[in-house]
Amino acid sequence: MFEAVYRWIDERIDLKGLQAKMLNEPMAGGARYAYVFGSALLFIFIMQAVTGLLLMFYYAPTADHAWESTKYIIEKVDFGWFILSYHLWGSSAMVAVLIMHISQVYLWGAYKKPREMVWLAGLLLFLIVIGFGFTGYLLPWDQRSYWATVIGIEIVDKAPILGDFLGRFLRGGPVPGAQTLSRFFVIHIMILPAALMAVAGLHIFLFRKAGPAGPFRGTTKELKEKMEYFFPTQVWKDIVVMGLVFVIVCTLAVRWPHEMLEEASPVASGLNPEPEWYFLFLFQLLRDPALAFLFSGEFGEFLGAILLPTLFLLLLAALPFIDRSPERNIFKRPIALTSWVVVMTSIVILTVRAIMFRE
Amino acid sequence: MQPRITAKVICTDREVGEVSYVIADPIAKSVSHLVIKADGRESVVAIDGLIAGCTEREVRLTCASGALAAASAPFRRDDFVTIHDVEIPHLERNLDQVTPGGVLVPLPVLEKDLSRRQFFTRFTNVIGAMLALPLVFPVVRYLIYPLYQPFTNLWIKLGAINAMGQEPGVPKLFKFQKTVLEGYITRHYEKSHWVIKLTPELRDKIYPNGDHEFRDDKGTLIWVNKKDADIAVLSGKCTHLGCAFRWRKHKRFGQVFVCPCHLSVFDPSGTVLDGPAPRRLDVLPLKISGSGEVEIIDMEFKAGKAEQVRIA
Repeated sequence: MFEAVYRWIDERIDLKGLQAKMLNEPMAGGARYAYVFGSALLFIFIMQAVTGLLLMFYYAPTADHAWESTKYIIEKVDFGWFILSYHLWGSSAMVAVLIMHISQVYLWGAYKKPREMVWLAGLLLFLIVIGFGFTGYLLPWDQRSYWATVIGIEIVDKAPILGDFLGRFLRGGPVPGAQTLSRFFVIHIMILPAALMAVAGLHIFLFRKAGPAGPFRGTTKELKEKMEYFFPTQVWKDIVVMGLVFVIVCTLAVRWPHEMLEEASPVASGLNPEPEWYFLFLFQLLRDPALAFLFSGEFGEFLGAILLPTLFLLLLAALPFIDRSPERNIFKRPIALTSWVVVMTSIVILTVRAIMFRE
Repeated sequence: MQPRITAKVICTDREVGEVSYVIADPIAKSVSHLVIKADGRESVVAIDGLIAGCTEREVRLTCASGALAAASAPFRRDDFVTIHDVEIPHLERNLDQVTPGGVLVPLPVLEKDLSRRQFFTRFTNVIGAMLALPLVFPVVRYLIYPLYQPFTNLWIKLGAINAMGQEPGVPKLFKFQKTVLEGYITRHYEKSHWVIKLTPELRDKIYPNGDHEFRDDKGTLIWVNKKDADIAVLSGKCTHLGCAFRWRKHKRFGQVFVCPCHLSVFDPSGTVLDGPAPRRLDVLPLKISGSGEVEIIDMEFKAGKAEQVRIA
C-alpha cells in the first residue's frame, strides 16, 4: 500500500528524482564515521524541538508560575521528569557533538576554498546554539537559572558602546525580572529556532553545492576508486550514530534526572552559582588565581569575558581567508594542529580546574 | 578534449550536414526542431512531418536539400537555453531517446539493486521505529495526564440559609467563591448557582423518586439529597450547551428560566418547557449544617446530552 501511495505522488512530482538528488550524493573516498557529526547535530536538534514542544504544553513562561509549572512537569505529569531531563541532557549533547563537528571540520581542513561560506554559516549556527543554552537555562526560574542569567547579562553589559543597551534589551529593564523571562522565552522558542532552521538550511545547501571535502589523504585516483554515494553507506553510519546518541541521552536522563533548586530569589542563598559545563572554562579563566595577573580588575574582566572570546570568534571567522594553503592533511599543517591541541587542552585544563576549585 | 555525439542528416537527394542541437517544445515535450551544421554554418529547421526515419547515426528527411534550405533559418544560440537552465517537468521521460551531448555518471546503488535498496530503506525505517515506538507510550501519557483527573467531591460553602431568599418557588441567583487547583495554579473565581425555596409541588417535580442519591462510576454512594429539605440548588449551567441562563418573564410561560443563547425555557423546578435543552436542570448535592450554613458539591455535567454524565 505504501508503494502505491509513493507511485501516485511520484507520477505527479517526480519524487524518485527528488529522492535520487538528495541521496545520490557522491563522496570521494567513501563513507566515514568521521562525517557523522553534522547529521547527529540535526538529529539532536529535532529531539530538542520535540521535547521542547512537549514541555510547552505545561510550562508557564511568567515569573509567578514558571517554577511551579516546571515542578508540576517533573513531579506530577506522567513521564514529565523524563521529557524534561531528556531536553536538558540533549542540550549538553548538542554542545558536545558541536565541538566534535567543529573539530572534525577544522582538522580535515574543510573550511578552505571553496567551502568558506559553509564554515561561516556554521559559525553562525554555533552562536545560535550558545544562545539556546543561555536562554533556555533561565526558564525553570530556580536559583541556579536566575543567578546564572544575572551574571551572564552583567557580562554582556560590559561590552563597549552597545553593552548597556544590549543588557537592558535582554533584561527587559534595568534589573532582571519578569520581563527578562518573557524575552528569553520568545528568543528560545521562536527566534532562535527560526534562525537555526534558516541558517541550517543555508549551511546544508552550501555544503551540497560545494560537495563533501572527503579525506585529506590519498591521490585523486584512489579517492575516485573508493567513491561511494551518500545512500546507503553514509546514511547507515549516520543512523547508527543517531541511535547511539539517543540511547546515551536517554540513559543520562534516566540515571541523572534533573533536580530543581528552590524558586529564584535575589536573597543570598547557600548556592554557589556556576554556569553550564560548556561555559566552565570561561568561568575559570576569569577567576583562576594563576591567571589573575591577566584577568583581574575591570580591564582584566573585559579582556577575559568579552575581548578575548570576541577576538577568538573573529579569528575563526577569518580562518578560511587567512589559511589559503590548499593543503588539507592535518599532519602537514603544523600550525593548525598545534593551535587545535593548545586550545582544546587549555579548555580541558580550565574546565577541570573549575570543578576542582569548587567551594 | 571531449567527444561529441552527432547524427548525420540526410535529405532525399543527399547528406546535408549533422545534428548539432535538438530543440524540444517545452509544452508538447517533443522534438520540434533540429539544428543542422553544414559547411561550418548552423541553421535551425522545424522537423514536424519531415522525418522519414531515424537511427543512431542518421536522420532521414522526406524533403530535398533545396526545400530544406528554404525552410531553414540561421541558428542563434542566444535564442535558446539548455535543459539545465530551465525546469521542465518530466521532459527526460518523453525525450529518453535524445541525448544531446549526453553525459553519464556511474549508476548509484540507489537505482541499481532493488532488493538492496529496499533492504536499506526498510532497515532505516526499522531503526527509526525502534527509536520512536518506545517514546509513543510515555509521550501520550504525558499529554493526557490532566485530562481524566478523578473527582474531588469537595464541599463548598455557599452561604447562610437565611440569605438565600425567603419566597418559596422563586429562585435566587447565588454567587460564591470557588478555589480550584488547575495543574500548578490555584485559581479563585466567582461562580453562581440558583437556590430555590421548595414547595410540595417543586419537591415532587425535582425528586420524583424520593431522596436523590449521588453515586460515582463504581456505584459508591457520595451523598443523598433529602426530598424534604427546605431548599434545592440547581446548576447555573444550561443543559443544552452550557450557557448561564436567567430568570425572566416569558410571553407564553410566565416567570421562568430562559437561556439567552438558544432560548431553552425551564420552569422553577428545572423541567424543560421549550427549546433545545435535552434534559432538566442538574441538581447539586446539598448539605445544611445545624447553624444554617449551606454547602454544595460543585459537580459539573456534560451539556447537550439527554443522560446526565458527570465531568467535574
